[in-house]
Amino acid sequence: MTAFVVANLSTREVGRRWAALLLVAGLPLWFYLVRRDLAGQSTRMLTLGIGWAVSTLTLFVVNASRSVDPRLRLAGASVVSIIGGRLIAMTGVGLALVVGYWMLVGFDQDVLHLWAAGLMMLLTALVAAPLGSLIGALLPRELEGALALLSVCAVQMLADPAGTIAKVMPFWSAREVGTYAIDGGSLEMVWRGLAHAGVVWLLGTAGTLAIFQWRLRIARYPEP
Amino acid sequence: MIDWPAVFEAELLRLGLQPGRARQLSEEATQEAADHAGTPADLFGPAHLYARHLVAELNAPDDQRGRQRYAPGPVFLSLAGVTKRYRRYTVFSGVDLTLRGGEVAAIVGANGCGKSTLLRICAGLTRPSSGAVRRTRRVGFVPQDGGTAGWLTAEEHFTLFGAAAGMVPGRARSTGVHLATRLAWRPSRRQRAQQLSGGTRQKLNLVLGELHAPDLLLLDEPYQGFDQGTYLDFWQQVFAWRDAGRAVVVVTHLLHDLQNVDHVLDLGGGGDR
Amino acid sequence: MMSRPWLHGFLDLCLLAMLRERADYGYGLSQRLAAAGVADVPGGTLYPALLRLEQQGLALPSWGPSETGPRRKYYAITPAGIDVLTGQADEWSRFRDGVDSLLAAAVQTVHREQR
Repeated sequence: MTAFVVANLSTREVGRRWAALLLVAGLPLWFYLVRRDLAGQSTRMLTLGIGWAVSTLTLFVVNASRSVDPRLRLAGASVVSIIGGRLIAMTGVGLALVVGYWMLVGFDQDVLHLWAAGLMMLLTALVAAPLGSLIGALLPRELEGALALLSVCAVQMLADPAGTIAKVMPFWSAREVGTYAIDGGSLEMVWRGLAHAGVVWLLGTAGTLAIFQWRLRIARYPEP
Repeated sequence: MIDWPAVFEAELLRLGLQPGRARQLSEEATQEAADHAGTPADLFGPAHLYARHLVAELNAPDDQRGRQRYAPGPVFLSLAGVTKRYRRYTVFSGVDLTLRGGEVAAIVGANGCGKSTLLRICAGLTRPSSGAVRRTRRVGFVPQDGGTAGWLTAEEHFTLFGAAAGMVPGRARSTGVHLATRLAWRPSRRQRAQQLSGGTRQKLNLVLGELHAPDLLLLDEPYQGFDQGTYLDFWQQVFAWRDAGRAVVVVTHLLHDLQNVDHVLDLGGGGDR
Repeated sequence: MMSRPWLHGFLDLCLLAMLRERADYGYGLSQRLAAAGVADVPGGTLYPALLRLEQQGLALPSWGPSETGPRRKYYAITPAGIDVLTGQADEWSRFRDGVDSLLAAAVQTVHREQR
């Protein structure tokens, strides 16, 4: 399927920029190390770092392929396969990060519900890619897109978890599930987290596809 | 003096001739010089200049009697009264064209008069403000520059573009490599697109445009003046496509001898009409 | 220097005429042209012209032995070439007659003025 070829090549493309990859992979680590003494803080910051890294990566990948995508469309590819392929690739990168960091947390911290910590990271990685691509779709200039993403992540980090602003932020699910993972509590939190992540994922993916369906539209001329 | 036949043959290859033909011409030139009891340089002048001259002569328009003309094929593109307006500003209006397979159309005009816009309308990347466009579905688009992924190798590009057209990766790669050979280019497996020289990137763009064997090719003429080593005779490729029965639309930015072209769309000096 | 299509037609006509007379190779044709006092055609013009005739199917190449080494390329006229030659020869005659008549008129004028 075309989407998988696109995903494969997207991954290769990104894989060649190993300096960028190192920085992307390392970002969560710095977040983690700074708060390493506190199990809760460190794990949450780590997760947020994963979200930020993956969404930034996706933002740039989506913007970088601006000149190629119309040609792929003319050759016959559908928007779903082009954009879907890129999303699959970046989600894959995110999942790789999650696996690595989950093991780190498992060894290095004493977490109440380790599986929930893993789930928290997983949800964040899954949500991050559509978030990055949605911003990329809305703001096709790299600087503007990066600044928008930066603002979102900053607010995410600084907002009072109890307030309404926090609930509207894309990575709120990480907070919910994370609270359960570290401090325990009702399983309700996990369900709420899953639901929130699901909605954000849907909005991000559907929004991205819709916008690119419009941006990459090719006039359907009848045959002569 | 450096080996005249070798330089001659290398230049012919660079100009896109098949290796066998290039070697044959080189041997014949050597023999002809021997007949004249002189060196090839004496008889023909500098090797690379003679090679260019020879290829130009062989491609030059034949006078009416000798010309081999293929009968034009089905209509692959038709424009009727195509107009493009941005708010109050009319870029061009009333463009008409009926283009068949085996024909070449050139879009000319001053800078900024909308040549690339018209090409994009033909592709479908932009819609006309008014007028009707009909086009075959099998179309290839070759931009002036860009349109490639800098971090991927040539073969990976073939795979990507081939997959977009529904080709299996293996077949896409082999087709791409084969088309590249016709342009006297052997894509390196290691080099990424951004590491390619300008002329080689042009060749990559051309191959990607025709990878899925389109009936209609839309080309934006690349800038001239690339490094000598990989300069491609762009128009030679255009006429090769025409002779293969395809329809070609070329946006040309330079003054050219347009005698060989079947249709010329002159968009003039730009501005309101 | 004559313009390209003009020289082409002119040179092609001479080459076809010589080939009609007998098949020959490049250097031989060049010598015959010079001997006829027609032109000293440089190699860089003659050989591409022969290749074009071959490409257009008006001359057929064959290879024969040569004293100096590798085989020598001979050209022979084809039936298509004979057709083209006949047509071009007609045109040339008409053209030459026209120029001659103009020249004759000019010479007469000169003579009149000299008296």
